Amino acid sequence: MEPTKTYNPALSGNPQSATGRVYPNGNPDLGYNLPGARNTDSAVPLHRGKPVVHDYACDGPAPGAIGFRSTYGSNVAAKNRDPRVQVIQYNEDTFILRQNVCVHWEAPFTYLLFGNKGALLIDSGATAEAHLYPLRETVDAIIARIGQVRGWRDIPLTVACTSGEDVAQNQGLRQFAGRPSTTVVPTPLAVMKQHYGLAASWPAGTGRIDLGGRVIDVIPTPGTHKDGVSFYDPYCDFLFTGDLLYPGKINIGNDRDFLASLERLKAWTGSHPVKWIMGGHIEMMFVPGKAYPRFATYKPYERVLEMVPAVLDEAIQYAREIQGHDRMLIRPDFILLNGVSPDQRTLEWPEGVPNINPPRPF
Amino acid sequence: MDRRTFLTTSSAAAVPLGSIGAAGLARAAAAPTPIDFKSNLPAPGSFPDRWICGSPSCMDNTDPPVQVHWYNPHTAILRQNKAYSYEAPFAPLYFGNDRVLLLDEGFVQLRNDWDLRGVVDGCIADWCKRNGRDPASLELLVAFSHLHADHYAATNQFADRPNTRYMGLTQEEMMGFWGMTNFPEERVTLDLGGRDILIWGSPGHVMSEFAHYDTYTQILYTGDMFYRGRCYISFWQPWFDSMKRLIDFCDTHPVSHVMGCHVEISKDGQDYAYGMTYQPDEAPVQMTVQQLREAFEYAKTITKPGIYFTGTVFLCNQTRGTTTIDQNPYRY
Repeated sequence: MEPTKTYNPALSGNPQSATGRVYPNGNPDLGYNLPGARNTDSAVPLHRGKPVVHDYACDGPAPGAIGFRSTYGSNVAAKNRDPRVQVIQYNEDTFILRQNVCVHWEAPFTYLLFGNKGALLIDSGATAEAHLYPLRETVDAIIARIGQVRGWRDIPLTVACTSGEDVAQNQGLRQFAGRPSTTVVPTPLAVMKQHYGLAASWPAGTGRIDLGGRVIDVIPTPGTHKDGVSFYDPYCDFLFTGDLLYPGKINIGNDRDFLASLERLKAWTGSHPVKWIMGGHIEMMFVPGKAYPRFATYKPYERVLEMVPAVLDEAIQYAREIQGHDRMLIRPDFILLNGVSPDQRTLEWPEGVPNINPPRPF
Repeated sequence: MDRRTFLTTSSAAAVPLGSIGAAGLARAAAAPTPIDFKSNLPAPGSFPDRWICGSPSCMDNTDPPVQVHWYNPHTAILRQNKAYSYEAPFAPLYFGNDRVLLLDEGFVQLRNDWDLRGVVDGCIADWCKRNGRDPASLELLVAFSHLHADHYAATNQFADRPNTRYMGLTQEEMMGFWGMTNFPEERVTLDLGGRDILIWGSPGHVMSEFAHYDTYTQILYTGDMFYRGRCYISFWQPWFDSMKRLIDFCDTHPVSHVMGCHVEISKDGQDYAYGMTYQPDEAPVQMTVQQLREAFEYAKTITKPGIYFTGTVFLCNQTRGTTTIDQNPYRY
């Protein structure tokens, strides 16, 4: 809802406050009883006769917030004591997991979504060894807790990657081998297509992962990887785009596919509400156009993870511009690398974008 | 004391007599015989078969923050742990009868993050114990090969160390520290107390860089202008001239090893990309004079910017805009 004139930030709290919320102390114009309240399970009943069934229908995006900052490594990686897998609950049914930057510089994000009949883990991190990166243990613990809360004995888990070939996202799959009630979407391209029922319709068709009341769409989006897919969650209104579109240095694998996939996502946003685009990594800094170099283990000035859907228009415009050219192109929220080294640098600075150098860590 | 005197006078002689207390006099009375750094050269020494070179997960690295390798009893070579900084430079520590020279540091500023000062103090204490000296009697010189932060970041850890002098962070102060007025041709002799270090200019990677030759081990330390990895040549002609200066030096002086500041290449010549924190199969840091000569011969054929592999090192001629050699593996 649009802010109205009755809210006066000078009197009631302004958006510069520490929480960063637009209405740091709430917005009285919205009233007290918002419809999204029904999406959250009540903790009041002492005994439950039967498993809890969640209502995943909502007007607009489900309530939820990224209420905390992601871990960002440390100046001396060897001394980092942050969690190996950071868990940020977005809402009761949606979790954002981040791999510690000092375990692996790619520090990928992994998402865990729950429906009434199952859970979906999107991507699996950059490290296979469970003692270094205990993704499976963390996911198991979250699932066990959710199971207790909702009175479910068994929550089947699906593990799917935004790209099966991406070693920054497929390494954790090994940890789920042999896990009971678990479907790991096969990674070879042909088998993956078949699994989603896309063998004949790739890349125009879409697949589905039904979590029970929450059906995740699988949208083929090759371009950075030949087997790239994006996932659409109609509950939170998120597009999970992996390596295809994220606040970082986007290494284009095939520039025609890349553009076509962005256009496919653009069309998708025309017919489906999208709140945020959630990528698989962050490499950009919070100053426009600046990114951390590869292998960096300390990223204190990281940009936020989420991107607004309007970034698609910009990505499409510049994907067109870069098509057929081996070059690097800087934009405020992402950098495109087409046919050049992942470490390519450029002296070309985008017009109209402030050129700010954040201070060095020391 | 002017710069010339500083280079050739031992620090003990420069201490006013009045400042030596009773304990100092007692030590002086028991002064051990000086170590002979000028006979039976080159002094034998050895490099490790394998340096500590990072780990797959940085936060799980349990190696020491600084690897200390004693090349011989009077020469230590320090290396920063890759999990403390990907730059992980090497830093020689040369001991003389009166002074100790630390060349280069590592890419971390603060002692609480990375205690280089403590490690250097430990090495000096260790050496003094072995040689019956008082650490307080030795002057420490902290210098760096060139003006890049991975070589000077820890400098201020030495600010409150007694009997210590260190280089300033400008070209002027670097030249002044070695008393040079005719860089890069001028070659000065630094006397550590019976152990001479020859120092001259070696620009090309940066404008302010030195080459160092230790007359005792006969190691030629070439800094970042020539090392086992990607030699980023920012300025071709000064670099080429510096190479010629190194070759001329090798023609007239015995050199046991050529040693650079970093290693960024595997034993079989694979590039470890810029920023990597784990180099499980890295090449040795030391090179032969022959390898230096081959690189110079190769360099003679280079006429334009680009990345060239000499068989030993990558010569990245004026490619600071690209820095890497690898390509996107997912291109299709």
